[in-house]
Amino acid sequence: MTHIQTSPGALAPGDDRAADKRNGPAGAAPPAGPKGPGSRENLAGYLFMSPWIAGFLFLIAGPMVFSLYLSFTEYNLFEAPRWIGLQNFTDMFADPRWRQSVKVTSWYVLIGTPVKLAAALAVAMLLAQKRWGQSFYRAAFYAPSLIGASVSAAIVWRALFSDDALVDRTQKVFGVEVGGWIGDPGVIIYALIALTVWQFGAPMVIFLAGLKQVPRELYEAAEVDGAGRWRRFFHITLPMISPVLFFNVLLETIHSFQIFGSAYIVSNGSCGPADATLVYTCYLYEQGFVNSRMGFASAMGWLLLVAVGLVTAVLFWSQKRWVHYEEGGR
Amino acid sequence: MSRNNGMDRRQMLKLAGLSAAGLGLTAAGCGSGGSGSSGGTVTIRHSWWGADDRAKKVQQCVALFEKKHPKIKVKTDFQQYPDFWKKFNTQAAGGNAPDVIQNAVTFLRKYEAKNVLLDLHPQVEKGNLSLDGFRSGLEKFAEVDGKLLGVPVGSNSMALVIDERVYEKAGIAPEIGWTWDDWYAGLQKIKNGQKIAGDAGPHGVMYLYDLILRQNGKAFFTEDGMGFGETELLPYWTEALERVKSGVYADPKKVEQIKPASATAKGLSAGEFTWDNFSVRYSAEGKSSYGLAPIPSTDGKKTGQYLGSLMLSGTARTKHPAEVATFIGFMTHDPAVARIMGYDRGVPATTAQFEAYQPTDAPSKAIAAYESAIAGAGILEPITPHPAGADVIEAAFLRISADLSLGKASPKDSVKQFFSEAKTALASN
Repeated sequence: MTHIQTSPGALAPGDDRAADKRNGPAGAAPPAGPKGPGSRENLAGYLFMSPWIAGFLFLIAGPMVFSLYLSFTEYNLFEAPRWIGLQNFTDMFADPRWRQSVKVTSWYVLIGTPVKLAAALAVAMLLAQKRWGQSFYRAAFYAPSLIGASVSAAIVWRALFSDDALVDRTQKVFGVEVGGWIGDPGVIIYALIALTVWQFGAPMVIFLAGLKQVPRELYEAAEVDGAGRWRRFFHITLPMISPVLFFNVLLETIHSFQIFGSAYIVSNGSCGPADATLVYTCYLYEQGFVNSRMGFASAMGWLLLVAVGLVTAVLFWSQKRWVHYEEGGR
Repeated sequence: MSRNNGMDRRQMLKLAGLSAAGLGLTAAGCGSGGSGSSGGTVTIRHSWWGADDRAKKVQQCVALFEKKHPKIKVKTDFQQYPDFWKKFNTQAAGGNAPDVIQNAVTFLRKYEAKNVLLDLHPQVEKGNLSLDGFRSGLEKFAEVDGKLLGVPVGSNSMALVIDERVYEKAGIAPEIGWTWDDWYAGLQKIKNGQKIAGDAGPHGVMYLYDLILRQNGKAFFTEDGMGFGETELLPYWTEALERVKSGVYADPKKVEQIKPASATAKGLSAGEFTWDNFSVRYSAEGKSSYGLAPIPSTDGKKTGQYLGSLMLSGTARTKHPAEVATFIGFMTHDPAVARIMGYDRGVPATTAQFEAYQPTDAPSKAIAAYESAIAGAGILEPITPHPAGADVIEAAFLRISADLSLGKASPKDSVKQFFSEAKTALASN
């Protein structure tokens, strides 16, 4: 149980920390003289933060502003950037490979994210039940996420899905002759989707936490009323975990848009065959670092940022319709 | 909860100092380039592309060099070919390029236009680098607009690597003077008789198409642009697609999956066009025995061939041009280097090195025999340095031809796409 604090610890009007709030980063005049204890604490705070602030300014904010400028220029890394206005953006829309990269990425996000979340939820529901060896199973299902982002997992994936490798041979047992997924432009994207689905551990853990919060009484009451398994799932579980689901959808969608490593490695650095795994970031990387078109690559980066921002906004807007928060829990 | 959770001024100052020191350290870390001199010893950085095997050999050469030149230290670094250029491009743009790099003709004008490469002529004049003793046609190999931008370490030429067992069984014995018709008839014979594709599919190999164009009085590149047009490429790729479909060229889906291994070594085809010194790897990768066949021609005479080569270049911002020249000179002239490197980067470019290494293994012997044969046949022509952007164009040629093979685009659209990308590459590099 949490300790209920009495007046000395509680935030009261006139307390220093309340003064701190007023004396925030906006730079309002300190209320009790320049040498007040509050301003000293502030200074200490900023000093503690200074490595981070410097890192943010020089490594994140600065490069971002510069890349925004570059997105309106032609820049090959060696000669000074040349202002070309919106031409990078118009070139982009006219470029069939750029359109292909948008197509591949959208496909990956639209198919991969829901399947991954469904897998995460299904396994979380299985693991939420008390059973022997529960912690082992939880660890085992979470493990792929730990190694999932690594290069080695993608290399193993490439080996698994190649011609005459494990997946191909298994298919042949069932009379399906694809001849390996890696070389087939129509199928390789599903190998990537399978790879992301396999890494469902992180959303699974979050679902598990959400499932633990659903009051047992609800299920008991529903059972008494004769509600079946599916009915209980759709009318109790889903609505009760909808905030967690929303969180996972948001995170995984943003994450999916940024897919790079697995596509790059499974395709052996080609983002192919026939541009079948040319995800957005892969094309951005190729334009920037192989073709030395940094202006174009910057423009692509900013468009991705805007697109992800829009998708996030739509998700937030949509949550009013399907996410249920407990009274006052907002 | 204690009210006085702040700290005193002294603590705060210490902390501030610490974080400032931390930042300073980071900044110092970014700035240190690695090349410098201390106590009369100079350190230069050398990077190249290749696999582990080459790395071991280069390392041995460097150890030998440092022993002979105790005042020069060489720091080495290597990557696979595509990664090498990505890294170099970024390093060069940041003004932190290695002092000596392995280089190729595709990149000469690109980096010359960006003032990245060191002109070695002054070093030759100062006597730090000798241009004597290069095999014919190689001494001015990397001269662009009067500047000496590199020195060749080996020579190589395009060839057809063949699976000798398959060719023997089919009763085909390729000889200098054979034509494209002879070659194609052979492929069909192999396909019909032994149910394997005759060739891996040569239509994405830029260097081969260059030879075909040269046989017809054109070339892939001029000094500043493309040396051919849609009217040449469209029939070539249309025909290639038919050959893929008929199975005379290997199944592109399978070729794609065994990469980076080669199709011929993996038994997907009876042969493929590549650089002659690459043939060494086939024996390691495959189970058959592999040989080199000459390039077919249209008229039985002109093959369009030239000696290509890997070279060593210095970079313009090096602080130690004399040491750079000394190192390059050592790598190209010292007989001991040839005994270590063998034909790894092609047949040694200087006669001293050529004579120092007598190959004993079959693939290297075949390369030596092949190069002597084409030199003897008098078919070699001079090479033209490729325009800036050639590397991007080569990659596009390979990629788009693969898309075509996989049935993702028609020959007409593929050709259009290629020239559109080539135009962009020439404009932005």
